[in-house]
Amino acid sequence: MSKRIVIVGGGVGGTMLANQLVGKLYPEVLRGDVSITLLSSSPDHYYKPAFMYVAFSQFFEEELKRPERSLLRPEISFHVEDVTRFDFSGQQLRTRTGKRFDYDFLVIATGCVPAPERIEGLQEAGDHFYQYLPARQLAQRLNTIEKGRIFITVSFPQTPNVPHQCGIAPVETTLMLDDLLRRRGVREQVEIIYTYPTVAQLLRNCLFLQRPTGEILPSIFARKNIQFQRGFTLSHVDPDAKIAYSIEGDAQPFDILMATPPIQAVEVVRGCGISHAANDEGWLPTNHETLQVYGLENVYVIGDTVDLPVSKAGGACHNQAPVIANNITAQIRLGAPNSVYDGRVQAVAQMGLNAGMPLWYDYAHDVLPTPPTKLGGLLRNGFNRGLYWAVARGML
Amino acid sequence: MNMPEEMSATPGFTALMAKLQPLIDGGRPENIVDLLSLVSDIADLLDTAMVEKLAQLFESGTAATWTVSNAVRLAQAEISAQSAAPGTLALLKLLNEEDTRKGVAVVLKTLNVIGRQL
Repeated sequence: MSKRIVIVGGGVGGTMLANQLVGKLYPEVLRGDVSITLLSSSPDHYYKPAFMYVAFSQFFEEELKRPERSLLRPEISFHVEDVTRFDFSGQQLRTRTGKRFDYDFLVIATGCVPAPERIEGLQEAGDHFYQYLPARQLAQRLNTIEKGRIFITVSFPQTPNVPHQCGIAPVETTLMLDDLLRRRGVREQVEIIYTYPTVAQLLRNCLFLQRPTGEILPSIFARKNIQFQRGFTLSHVDPDAKIAYSIEGDAQPFDILMATPPIQAVEVVRGCGISHAANDEGWLPTNHETLQVYGLENVYVIGDTVDLPVSKAGGACHNQAPVIANNITAQIRLGAPNSVYDGRVQAVAQMGLNAGMPLWYDYAHDVLPTPPTKLGGLLRNGFNRGLYWAVARGML
Repeated sequence: MNMPEEMSATPGFTALMAKLQPLIDGGRPENIVDLLSLVSDIADLLDTAMVEKLAQLFESGTAATWTVSNAVRLAQAEISAQSAAPGTLALLKLLNEEDTRKGVAVVLKTLNVIGRQL
């Protein structure tokens, strides 16, 4: 009987995994022994990291999306469907249009979403760059501020040892902000204050979620006259007075509050009854090596929905997809998974508007920061504009 | 070349220098220096706009190649899997399928656009 593999989510994790599965299982796919279906709530695929560039007026919306179908191999059955219910015992999905999809193997690749509403006043008074429209709003503010105070906050999930979205993004955007304001000639009149919460995964009272990078940040910030403050865990915001309050008892005024907001899994995952995550955040209990969901048979999870201590970013998906593709293939051909994820994540960090810093880390090694360079910046730009789409297609 | 005595006395350094000596005698390292200079010139010439254009060119090329090669691979595999060549009626039925008509339209339109530019 044909094995049905269903992937839910058309982000970079789901897309590259679907393409890699076709390659791995090509003989079975051609014989009709395996079918691969991808369900996405949108007909378009968005390059999510580019939202950060939208906030700095570096990307148009049309440049950061492609039709999802154009990124998928022809062997993949693609449906624009919003999954509303997982029936794990019946191995079936239900969608908003009333359709049902049966599966033998399921991959949950639904990502995460910003949830600024989890912090009182943040949605009303704060800005962020993790979605298109909020990034556009932030861009308008950054392009018009003449003087004042830009206050930067980072909120971690309350689930222990789970990071916020894209670990390096707050540092990247702080440095990009400094460059943008210098270009506009208003930097002298605008204070930038970078803050970090008291608890950052396993670290305390630091400036970054990994110690080696956190230790070099003070000197980088000092050279650019960026102020920084440890131990500011955003508790609530007064939108009228424009004051950000911390759990530690501090109160800081701002003209622009550039926040990395709380995040959560998508609604259908939070409601599926499998997550043990704190505060109804919805992260799925993930085997850190095989990437299977604990307690469920033949169900895998990729990307932002995992409860692992690795970055919620495409650089993690890039290393998780081959492991899942191998494991599903091995289950079909050999009866058991055979690949292990070592926690590897790689990226080129955007360190200011022009400089880049290639980085990698895994479960056992932290990022060892190197000096940002112009070539690193060009590499990141080349990735943003071209290489990314080859990665999504499973070519790189 | 003045090297610290402890380095120039190591077997590895001696072996490396023995390999390099004919190249040095022939003036070949100058090419390496020229190459480094060329790479440096290219890095200086590259700017954001040029990288953006090159990246778009890369995407256009890889996307088109990928799409065509996927289609050819799948079509070849499906036809090869058939025990006999499709009959005329089967070909006509294939031609009448919506996906085939869309594909034919893309080919014809491509020729049309090429003609428009002549």
